[in-house]
Amino acid sequence: MKKSVNRQIAQVHLTSKWGQTVVAILGVTFGVSIYIFMNSFMNGVNKTQDDMAFTSMSHIRIYNEDNVHPFNPVQSFYNSSQTLFNIRNRKSIQYSDGIKNTLGIISFLEKQNEVTNVACHLDFSVFFRSGSKKINGLISGVEVANEDKIFNDSQKVIQGNWFDLNYRKSGIILGKVLAENLGVKVNDNINILTSDGISKNLLVVGIIETSIKEVDKSKAYINIASARQILSKNQDYASDILVNIKDKEKTEPLIKRIVPVIPYQVESWQVANQQLVAMTQIRNILAIAVSLAILLVAGFGIYNIMNMTINEKIKEIAILKAMGFSGGDIKTIFLSQAVIIGIVGDILGVLLGYFISMSVNQVPFEIAGLKTLPIQFSVEDFILAIAFGVITTLLAGYFPASKASKIDPVNIIRG
Amino acid sequence: MENTSLKVKNLIKYFHDPTTFQVLKGVSIDVNKGEFLSIVGKSGSGKSTLLYVLSTMDTDYEGTLEINGNILTGKSQNELSTFRNEHIGFVFQFHYLLPEFTCLQNIMIPALKLGKFSPEEIEQKAYESLRLLDLEDHALKKANKLSGGQQQRVAIARALINSPSVIMGDEPTGNLDSLNARAVQDIFKELAKSYGQTIICVTHDNDFARNTDRTIEMKDGLIIN
Repeated sequence: MKKSVNRQIAQVHLTSKWGQTVVAILGVTFGVSIYIFMNSFMNGVNKTQDDMAFTSMSHIRIYNEDNVHPFNPVQSFYNSSQTLFNIRNRKSIQYSDGIKNTLGIISFLEKQNEVTNVACHLDFSVFFRSGSKKINGLISGVEVANEDKIFNDSQKVIQGNWFDLNYRKSGIILGKVLAENLGVKVNDNINILTSDGISKNLLVVGIIETSIKEVDKSKAYINIASARQILSKNQDYASDILVNIKDKEKTEPLIKRIVPVIPYQVESWQVANQQLVAMTQIRNILAIAVSLAILLVAGFGIYNIMNMTINEKIKEIAILKAMGFSGGDIKTIFLSQAVIIGIVGDILGVLLGYFISMSVNQVPFEIAGLKTLPIQFSVEDFILAIAFGVITTLLAGYFPASKASKIDPVNIIRG
Repeated sequence: MENTSLKVKNLIKYFHDPTTFQVLKGVSIDVNKGEFLSIVGKSGSGKSTLLYVLSTMDTDYEGTLEINGNILTGKSQNELSTFRNEHIGFVFQFHYLLPEFTCLQNIMIPALKLGKFSPEEIEQKAYESLRLLDLEDHALKKANKLSGGQQQRVAIARALINSPSVIMGDEPTGNLDSLNARAVQDIFKELAKSYGQTIICVTHDNDFARNTDRTIEMKDGLIIN
């Protein structure tokens, strides 16, 4: 009963000054919709960037870094400070190269819960030769099926078939631009020359197009067995082991667990691509900063309007108090106006934000494998947008409302 | 004792702004139930100040205030506003209706706040008093669309809606022409006589004062007559 009078009064206040109410609601609406749009857009951009990055990058990479060994046998033998020694033109021996016991590591990795896919790579640089053309590039020897599970290569092969590599041991799949530059088509032969001087003829069984120009220009794929044969390595040899896990953000705990067991470098994508992580975070911060700034402005707008309303209605507030309304009632009346403005603004803001995002998603943007500007919705953003909208209006309404509740009716009525 | 509606004892009040000044210097009155009392005096005599203390809105005083046997001195603002809602009705010089609400809503609000009756009953009661005050046709008009006399009558209807035991008026006819002033006065008289409601009015108007049951004259914070 009591509540309904307060609500009725709040309602009359809101409806008798439509213009003001609409302005206040629109403030919230714009804040909320921009929040949703900015975040959805940034999510879209982040997702596109990740998708692009993960076409050529796994979540975790295990490799053998060719360390510079500072070990100095002379110094360790004559370790007295009295000795002076001088070694000229010192050379390092390459102690180890690549990963030797891949099978053991792979079977260990496959036992880990988070791991979804593991694939071996054997990468080496070559000259591709076709007629008089000679192009410097990189060959990846791949485990055909596993590689496809991580990078989805079979979808990117535009001519031929990715899985042909499985049974065509001398088959090669070339990057699109590389094939164009060499002037070769599917079923043509090319020659490769390794840094160790080994040359081999291979049959082009496919052309691959990724969204990354650099890869298309210089990379080719062959079966890892052929790669081992060309480099005269044993059946267990690889240059990299690539691992994908269920949640790409949670590389840290797995790495902590496997590092003590694996005698090679273990690197997460976050560490290998800090600029990627940094850009993602900066974009998120930007999106939040812009939308919060808008909400802040909206909040000040509401605060102003509420303050004005209360100054205008100061006599009415005094009268309500004289008639028996308590300070709490007055606060309820004005705060509920703020809440209504917040809720209506929120609902409209969510709809408008969704609409803006969907419209932007239709804007053509044909660069790097994109067709339109990317938008990625997440429930979290919507919930946060609604929460920010309500909190802003509550704060903006609270101070004027408590000011109103403290009005002394005697002073106002006596004039 | 039972016949006493309102009782103040030794009321003292100071104003502190701009300088400390004693407005009320020990005022004591007893008002009986159904009495129509007027308070007169020159401006600055403390009559309005006295009324606002009696109304419970002003709590910054010394002495005791008792209405219908309830001692109200020292109660919290919230208790006092609940008490005002039920027991005291107000009519002010400048009517002070809520301009965005219809006359009917203006009258109903104190009763809705009290919540003793259902909205339907309250609406019926409000219509009755509008009829009594000859304002039935204006029930659904916004309060600010009415003439001064009509607004004052709506304000009276609002003051009556909860059947308060005490009705207080601060220059209730001060803003009205003689015809309307007369009408308001007749209404008050009728209320005191027929319904036993106590009426206390501050006024400048000597004609008005002459027509009341008792007149108190104030001067310099004291009752002189």
